[in-house]
Amino acid sequence: MKLNSLPEDRSSVSYRAKRLFRRNWSGWLLMLPGLLLFVFFVWAPLAQNVILSFSETDGFEAAGFNSFENYVRVFNDPMFSKALVNTFKYIFWSIIIGFLVPIFLGLLLSEVAHFKSFFRLGIYFPAIVSGIAVVIMWSYLFDPNPGAVLNQLLSALGIPASQFLSDPKLTIPLIVVTMTWRGAGGTVLVYLSALQNIDNSQYEAARMDGAGALSRVWHVTLPHVKPTIRMLFILQIISVFQVFYEPLVMTSGGPDGASVSLLLLSYQYAFQSFDAGASAAVGVILALIIIALTVVYLRLSRPKKDKISKRWLRYAKKINR
Amino acid sequence: MKKGLFTAAAAVMGAAALFSFAGCGKGNGKITVSIGMWPDSTLTQDVAMFEEWERQFEADYPEYDIVADKYDYSADTIAAKATAKQLPTVFQTYFTEPQKLIERKWIVDITDEITELGWLDKMDANMRAAVSKDGRCYGVPRDGYGMGMFLNLAMLYDVGVIEKNADGSYKLHDEAGNPLYPTTFAEVREVSELIVESYESTYGLVVLSANMNGGWQFSNMAWNFGCDALQVEEGGKVTANLNDAGAVRALEWIRDMANDGLIYPDASLSYSDWYAKIGSKNVAMAFCGSDALMMPVTNFNFNKDDIAFVPMPTGDGESRYSLYGGTPYVFAGNATKEQVKGALLFLKYMGRSPETDALSINAVELGHKTAQAKGMPILPSIRPWVNEDYLTKVNALDEKYINVNTYYYKDFFDTIEDYKRSEEPYYCQDMYKLLDNALQSVISKPGTANCQALLDTANSQFQNNYLNKL
Repeated sequence: MKLNSLPEDRSSVSYRAKRLFRRNWSGWLLMLPGLLLFVFFVWAPLAQNVILSFSETDGFEAAGFNSFENYVRVFNDPMFSKALVNTFKYIFWSIIIGFLVPIFLGLLLSEVAHFKSFFRLGIYFPAIVSGIAVVIMWSYLFDPNPGAVLNQLLSALGIPASQFLSDPKLTIPLIVVTMTWRGAGGTVLVYLSALQNIDNSQYEAARMDGAGALSRVWHVTLPHVKPTIRMLFILQIISVFQVFYEPLVMTSGGPDGASVSLLLLSYQYAFQSFDAGASAAVGVILALIIIALTVVYLRLSRPKKDKISKRWLRYAKKINR
Repeated sequence: MKKGLFTAAAAVMGAAALFSFAGCGKGNGKITVSIGMWPDSTLTQDVAMFEEWERQFEADYPEYDIVADKYDYSADTIAAKATAKQLPTVFQTYFTEPQKLIERKWIVDITDEITELGWLDKMDANMRAAVSKDGRCYGVPRDGYGMGMFLNLAMLYDVGVIEKNADGSYKLHDEAGNPLYPTTFAEVREVSELIVESYESTYGLVVLSANMNGGWQFSNMAWNFGCDALQVEEGGKVTANLNDAGAVRALEWIRDMANDGLIYPDASLSYSDWYAKIGSKNVAMAFCGSDALMMPVTNFNFNKDDIAFVPMPTGDGESRYSLYGGTPYVFAGNATKEQVKGALLFLKYMGRSPETDALSINAVELGHKTAQAKGMPILPSIRPWVNEDYLTKVNALDEKYINVNTYYYKDFFDTIEDYKRSEEPYYCQDMYKLLDNALQSVISKPGTANCQALLDTANSQFQNNYLNKL
């Protein structure tokens, strides 16, 4: 030890950081690639997006602060209000179609006694097809020509030909059908695993109490899969907020903006109008909406059990004193 | 032992992280020129042709290294490629694009290099204007196109619109020389009615309405219905004129066609759809550029002998225009002068220059031979260069290699010089996008669409959001 050196302050941040690193240096090294990639591909673009949204832009570079000008321009664009409303329509239809269908399929699949693996594979199969291939395939099926596949089927059933994606009222529900067709398989498997974790004795007890099939689902199955349903519900909303390539490929956001989503609008600003500032502003608005909805949802769905156990803790402490 | 292994793994991961963020490159001392229009590797005959040009070029200019760097221009990718400085030295785009690429400095000024080669004054004046700004040149035209009407002659013959000669070829004119094919929008409607009556699930015409292709087509239709211009420039101020009476009549014509089931009923069709619908015989007529006539043949095995390409119809009996555009070669914004010079010289080896020496003309011929070997239709085209010696030699080659009945294209190419008209000058793609929305509305809701109101909305949005920025 040098005579003139002072002992390092053990409470200082730098001392504690050094100690943390020295103690776990190999762990830090293991984390380094992931950490660097995370900074490079996630945090830096996120921060840059926020900066761009408040900047005048030259290509994708910020070329000076312009306050809320990008946001004002976005809010004044009639396509933004359409995209915002449409995004909520996507959520509505995805709850009706995309959220309930996998629950229903999961329940059905759990009841199947024979060929379970076959049905499981069948339901999951669309998920392994490329997303773009799926939307292109469905675009062909939704061809409004009366001679096209689906219209021929409708005609055989005596139903008049549909304009499908060219009908503004049908565009979003049909895009959601496409998304559900591809995405339901994965969700069904999650539900299935939750359903298989339910103890059979509970069903037997319910049966002995005289509960019918529907009653067993309502009183035994659903309470057990409720946490899974809750988690997938919020994930569903977040993913539907990011709906992008389906309307891009199937309708380009049309007809007349009837299927444009916020993310598609952001893409159109960036890559068709070359307005990176407006695109970034839409991205920030979208992020704020998702954060707000998530917070509201988490508050509303906080399990009462927690409140009860906290009360119990307080009560127990009181007694112990 | 375990700890040692763990430490080694950690060190490897750390080193990997550091190396993954380090880049290294080593040049060979040559000037690299990357070629964006290099064909896809699956097109072996085209690749062989490019490799031959590369071999000849590198033998004559050993200081250059030609590199294949295929890039299909699209508005969706150009911003990212240009910002990351990943554009090839030379690539092709559309005539609608250079102005915005120049504004963003994504392509470079080549005036000095092209003047030195003596090519500038040989360029077609309209095409030169499309690749120039403030008197400076930023591109080399590859070829031009004019918008016209594609006809499925077999269908038109079946419904009795046209006749056949004794030799089995189609007859497009009566004895007095008047066209039998539709020359007005009213006649296009009549022919469409015949098609719909005669065929099942088939329509007269396909009207595009997505990805800015709808607006592009519609602007030509609006001119031909009597709209003088969709943008009016007066006293230094540019005013939107999208709701002009001619434009409204054009949109009403489309609406009525949609309402009566005479056009393909899809409200999100873009450029590839016209030849898909023609190729699959879902429609008998389409508006398209003269440079894309082979698309139904190469993609859908459409019989090239059943194709005719005629001038755009008129709506008011007087206005006859053909929207005029094309494909220029442009050069990456970060290309050096040496690279630009090399790329320009390589264009000569490709037969894309006004030069008429043996090397250049042989390159043009090699292009024709390759197309012939692939069984592709070789069609007449609009020339980018106007020097007499070039036109004489290239026209002679055309006569030798064109493998379609030029009679089916004659009316179009005879009139294009009189009818051609450049696209509207300001924020053209944005204008097309707004017009797309109006078109989508009339095609998806033809029973209730109010054309005047739709174009009023598009007009005010175009004025407020774009033209007012000028």
